[in-house]
Amino acid sequence: MAGAIIENMSTKKLVIVGLILLLFQAFSFMVGGLIAPSPTTAVHYLATKCVDSVKAHHQGKKWFMPWGPYQCDKIRDFDEAMAKRIEANNIVFAVHIPLPNKEMSPWFQFMLVILQFDIAFKMYNQIQEGAVATLDVGLAYRDSTLSKWTEMAHSVEKRKLNCNFTTTKTVENEGRYYECDLLPFMELGSVSHKYYLLNIRLPVSERKNLNVGIGEIKDIRLVGIHQNGGFTKVWFAMKTFLTPSILIIMIWYWRRITMMSRPPVLLEKVIFALGISMTFINIPVEWFSIGFDWTWMLLFGDIRQGVFYAMLLSFWIIFCGEHLMDQSERNRLSVYWKQVGPIVFGSFCLFIFDMCERGVQLTNPFYSIWASDVGTELAMAFIIVAGICACLYFLFLCFMVFQVFRNISGKRSSLPAMTKARRLHYEGLIFRFKFLMLVTLACAAMTVIFFIVSQVNEGHWHWGDYTVQVNSAFFTGIYGMWNLYVFALMFLYAPSHKRYGDEQSSAGTCYCGDQGGNSGEDIQLTTTITHVDGPTEVYKMMGKESQE
Amino acid sequence: MDLYLVGYLMCMCMSSARVLGGYPIWWSLALGPQYSSLGSQPILCGSIPGLVPKQLRFCRNYIEIMPSVAEGVKLGIQECQHQFRGRRWNCTTINDNLAIFGPVLDKATRESAFVHAIASAGVAFAVTRSCAEGTSTMCGCDSHHKGPPGEGWKWGGCSEDAEFGVLVSREFADARENRPDARSAMNRHNNEAGRMTILENMHLRCKCHGLSGSCEVKTCWWAQPDFRLLGDYLKDKYDSASEMVVEKHRESRGWVETLRAKYAFFKHPTERDLVYYEGSPNFCEPNPETGSFGTRDRNCNVSSHGIEGCDLLCCGRGHNTRTEKRKEKCHCIFHWCCYVSCQECVRVYDVHTCK
Repeated sequence: MAGAIIENMSTKKLVIVGLILLLFQAFSFMVGGLIAPSPTTAVHYLATKCVDSVKAHHQGKKWFMPWGPYQCDKIRDFDEAMAKRIEANNIVFAVHIPLPNKEMSPWFQFMLVILQFDIAFKMYNQIQEGAVATLDVGLAYRDSTLSKWTEMAHSVEKRKLNCNFTTTKTVENEGRYYECDLLPFMELGSVSHKYYLLNIRLPVSERKNLNVGIGEIKDIRLVGIHQNGGFTKVWFAMKTFLTPSILIIMIWYWRRITMMSRPPVLLEKVIFALGISMTFINIPVEWFSIGFDWTWMLLFGDIRQGVFYAMLLSFWIIFCGEHLMDQSERNRLSVYWKQVGPIVFGSFCLFIFDMCERGVQLTNPFYSIWASDVGTELAMAFIIVAGICACLYFLFLCFMVFQVFRNISGKRSSLPAMTKARRLHYEGLIFRFKFLMLVTLACAAMTVIFFIVSQVNEGHWHWGDYTVQVNSAFFTGIYGMWNLYVFALMFLYAPSHKRYGDEQSSAGTCYCGDQGGNSGEDIQLTTTITHVDGPTEVYKMMGKESQE
Repeated sequence: MDLYLVGYLMCMCMSSARVLGGYPIWWSLALGPQYSSLGSQPILCGSIPGLVPKQLRFCRNYIEIMPSVAEGVKLGIQECQHQFRGRRWNCTTINDNLAIFGPVLDKATRESAFVHAIASAGVAFAVTRSCAEGTSTMCGCDSHHKGPPGEGWKWGGCSEDAEFGVLVSREFADARENRPDARSAMNRHNNEAGRMTILENMHLRCKCHGLSGSCEVKTCWWAQPDFRLLGDYLKDKYDSASEMVVEKHRESRGWVETLRAKYAFFKHPTERDLVYYEGSPNFCEPNPETGSFGTRDRNCNVSSHGIEGCDLLCCGRGHNTRTEKRKEKCHCIFHWCCYVSCQECVRVYDVHTCK
């Protein structure tokens, strides 16, 4: 009786494999924690208030620089503007990204910008209910400090001001700032230029009710978030290393399966698919983003992650199903539609949502689905549906795991009464299931624990002179962990070579006496991956008999 | 003109002899013509009064930061005037004097403690702000990183939130407080307390930007609070400031004065608390010696029983009441900037002033 490698491996070898995997795991955590910097950086920008004084320039497009050569005419505050009789429409908020003496780099991968208004409370100029700020924004880039600015995007955007005033609205509290929610402002999927310039206007029109009742804006603050170059490099290195490892084990695994005389069963195919989706994530296509201006990389990355998660969730369901050890035949994907359906549907919802947000941002980087009421409702709807699907899925999964354990305890009692071959078969099934269950739970627990730690913690720990970047360790460690998980799965659950030869001879003889009572269970033997070799004639016969 | 010059010189001499022990006259940078020319003309470090050599060196090395230093002091003074608006001492500044608060701050009073704290907080705040605006190239962390410039930024980014501002404030404002006397120790302590206020009150903001905007990837940063909040906080610290006594020690470099809490049974002041060791005058009557302007002719609030009420503010001298007709703007339509269209209304007010 032979099965997957994991059953036929001696405990000693299993421990050695486990230790090697653990070593790699520790290594992947250390790479993130000790070598990589923190994953992202947030940079504060305060918009400079420029005056668009020359009417002639207004016709042709002119860019306003907040500092450096050719900087604009600035005003310090709006009292100054009031004194100089400058109109709101002639004030341009200019932000240069990055700050002086720095430049952006393609290694930053993406850049998102968050907007925050500083609005002072005035008794007679309060923010009206449901106020919406209308921004006329332009984005330009250049690659040397001397060249001209080239327009990248221009758009008129609306953002809902969600501000509240925490103290009492009295004259004494005039001048205090409202507490406003952060507003999504811009998202770039690639940072291929060195310098970016944002020019923001807040046009006022009483007739069109534009920017009326938005309170007394004192300042516009932006926060630019990008991935750190060092983190990107470590991440790419990791991907470049992992891709061939998973690819090699995948090829090895599939060769083993094709070497058998029977066609592969469902579980084998699913494991293989998991390997493919892992490779899909791993392949470091991001290297191209260094040379090419591919703004869709962010979206593509989301899709790749989504495919992997969907595959992983499906795998768990199918693995449980194939180890149910009840009297029904599965081995077909259509049997699992109830469980896999929510996964596919939920992923599809998230995909649509992502397309609506990041897809549209390919053409208009200032677009945000959260900016409009309809968009917000739509987005919420997608997320809620996806959430419901996730809940549904976990209910199914828990139920299935429960069923498996119930069946296991049922089988346990009848084990001694079985023939040796059957007992070995069931013991193998139980062992395989419990092993995967344990490993999966450990991986999931690790992910959750590290997620919580990285959320709660400020991001880095100091150990003497060493700084451990907890967030980076989380990303590389968890990423490495799921890679090792897939790796181990393909290695340990591949069909074993052992007793390859004597299987055929024993199969015929062993099971002959077993026909009759337990025949229904034997179908199980064909559906799981226990068998090195495909169902023999005996099995097929038995299957038919039991159906009759 | 000559007379003025002599007076100026005498003032300078006196200040180096006595006033220098009191408070920094470089604060005058934040008032009058010095301040209004900030935007248009470059600062001449030599023309800033009352800088010690270390400050002068700092000014020359970091000339681009100086406008924000002045801005910061101005911010501090404005906040001081807001916080003390209804009190007997209302943080009045004198425009034609280098000692911008007059002699009030010569004594080591609570008021001195507050002004020092808010001014040093203001400097740190304004420098941080101007760094975000990109007006200075000195900001940020490239200076402490090894390797070629820009590499540190590309590898690990650079998000110093307020550290640089605090550093500037510490280097510049504390430069003159290096004498071994009690007043220097007090100023150092209060300056640091002001800066700590900023670091204490930074608030954490986060943005989730993982898969489909989930919190799988989250970036957080510390944002500076509204300066009014710092003012409120320091005002609380003013109210609960600790009184100290001066102790003299003999050390290798001579006599050193240190401060010790006067009342052992009170909680010991932490580095966030304000400290002082001389009592404040009551500020009721004008007194050129203490720098009190008195409260005569100050507006008071007849219905309040607090410090801004007529009883307390007028120090029991009583108050005059008169009615005043004022033309005021009303039914206004505001734009977010620079434009208000209003009608004019006439309102009648009762004005109470101290006798």
